[in-house]
Amino acid sequence: MKGLLRKIFMEVRWPVLILSIGLALIMALLTELLPKVLGDIDKVFAKLPFVKPLITALLGMDPGEAFTAQMTQAFLWVHPTVLSLIWAHELMYSSRMPAGEIDRGSVDFLLGLPVTRWKLYLSETIGWILSGLFILCVGFSGHWLASAALQPEMRPGAYATFGIITNLMAVYVAVGALAFLVSCNSDRRGRAVGIMFAILLMSFLLNFLAQFWEPAKTVSFLSVMEYYRPAAVIQSGHFPMTDVGILLGAASVFWIAGGVIFQRRSICTV
Amino acid sequence: MSVIATQQLSKCYGLRRGVDDVDLRVGAGEIFGFLGPNGAGKSTTIRLLLGFLKASSGNATVFGQDCWSDSATIKQEVGYVAGDVRLYPWLTARKALQIVGEIRGRDILSDGLQLADRFRMEPDLPVRRMSRGNRQKVALMMALAHRPKLVVLDEPTSGLDPLMQDTLADCLRELAAAGHTVFFSSHTLSEVESLCDRIAIVRDGQIVVNEQLSRLKARAPRTAVVTFESATVANSVTVPDFITIQSRSNKELQIQITGAAVELTHWAAAQPIIDLSVGPPNLEHLFRQYYKGNAARPVHNAAAGGSAKDAADMEEYVPFPELENS
Ligand SMILES: Nc1ncnc2c1ncn2[C@@H]1O[C@H](COP(=O)(O)OP(=O)(O)O)[C@@H](O)[C@H]1O
Ligand SMILES: [Mg+2]
Repeated sequence: MKGLLRKIFMEVRWPVLILSIGLALIMALLTELLPKVLGDIDKVFAKLPFVKPLITALLGMDPGEAFTAQMTQAFLWVHPTVLSLIWAHELMYSSRMPAGEIDRGSVDFLLGLPVTRWKLYLSETIGWILSGLFILCVGFSGHWLASAALQPEMRPGAYATFGIITNLMAVYVAVGALAFLVSCNSDRRGRAVGIMFAILLMSFLLNFLAQFWEPAKTVSFLSVMEYYRPAAVIQSGHFPMTDVGILLGAASVFWIAGGVIFQRRSICTV
Repeated sequence: MSVIATQQLSKCYGLRRGVDDVDLRVGAGEIFGFLGPNGAGKSTTIRLLLGFLKASSGNATVFGQDCWSDSATIKQEVGYVAGDVRLYPWLTARKALQIVGEIRGRDILSDGLQLADRFRMEPDLPVRRMSRGNRQKVALMMALAHRPKLVVLDEPTSGLDPLMQDTLADCLRELAAAGHTVFFSSHTLSEVESLCDRIAIVRDGQIVVNEQLSRLKARAPRTAVVTFESATVANSVTVPDFITIQSRSNKELQIQITGAAVELTHWAAAQPIIDLSVGPPNLEHLFRQYYKGNAARPVHNAAAGGSAKDAADMEEYVPFPELENS
């Protein structure tokens, strides 16, 4: 296991470091800019009516009247750049093994080693969780440092922030577990990433359409964004127990299914 | 107990045939050559043995353990080199030894570096700067550094220069002399001819020959030239069944015989000849027959016992298929 973790560390350390620094910078920037931009949000809504359902979809609630200064910070956690960076890392990571290894042909080396496939899967999982935690923590520290410059009433409470980060981590775990499941069924890394990209895009679209289109509302429970609502967390001040529970539950099912398939499938590089 | 044993091992890739009814036994200390043309099923068989692929039917064991369910345990004592070695671009020989050593739970660094030296490799050159042959050497080093009881090599010499092929052959002979087993696949005869004790030929997914190399040699055709006293005799002479006439020119008769030359000398002694020259057994010719599929397809299956010698003793002789009509 130690050798496997060392191999994973060698492979992902630079991308993870660069990505997390990038995330920290973006979050710091957004922390500074968002209050200014969102202060005039009503004018934007008036000019560009489609923006409102978009933001509602992202935030998980209508930003209309109850848009307090604190809640502008919620937008930070659903900003498309932030989510894109996190998911980009995730899709690249989760498609490494087995899809990427089979694609590259190096899986012959891995499978020639005296480790069970479960152990391979588990070591990849450990790297995936740890790198996710690392990226989120570094990203958060960017936000935290920048928020020192904000007026105190603009800063969200520590408890709400903890709730949001946990919720985001649960989203990360659910999306990654699904990506592992897709990867375990695939021999081509590009295809695995493509499928996951399409799923995430559909997820956004569904969440967006559900604002005003009834048929989409009935299936919107399938969208991962349905279980990630930072604005509601800040507003209520409660920990999003149900959302986190559902995300982790789904993640467990995907992860186990991926593992079982990887364990049972024939692997061939030709 | 056989190191490798398969019974009616078959693998289909969807509708495509991989291998079909493969029965193999390889005993400890043997260097076993697994020959066949491209696409015959060599890599498929090897992947089944290593638990990469799940057999469609039949079963396979290594060290008496099931190749699919006990694969991780088996691989503690196996070194494997893939046919087309592809590794991580950042890997160097030294890092590879460190990682593989940690996974295997033993220190293989010094043994590995010795091998690296033997194969004339730079231990700190990353794979991304390596030629194909050098990548192959890294893979060989990782496969041999822990001195495994079984070495499985899938066409290992395809990227190696002749000197390195010799070095590899020496390493394998040393291992075999110490009682380790080598399973070696190849599509060319010459490299297995000097190395292997026993060979199997696979074609279209099926084993067509599985025999001691010495016995195959004894059955391989030889060409002989008989010179008679006069052209008249040469043209009118009738030959017994075991001789095939290939050409007649003037006083000379070019013939082909199968097996030992002793029968030929008996016959020749009674003829008015002035010269006789007999060539060496032509294994190459024999192989081409099998590769092309012209030869009939009996399965010469040698059961291997505890050692290579046992395997030879237990082997059952099956007469050589007809070659005349080729
Ligand atoms: N992944 C695969 N999918 C479909 N067919 C395959 C696959 N791998 C091998 N085959 C087929 O199985 C047969 C045996 O292939 P292989 O074992 O690689 O041959 P060899 O190693 O002797 O050249 C070939 O006909 C090949 O086309
Ligand atoms: Mg092959």
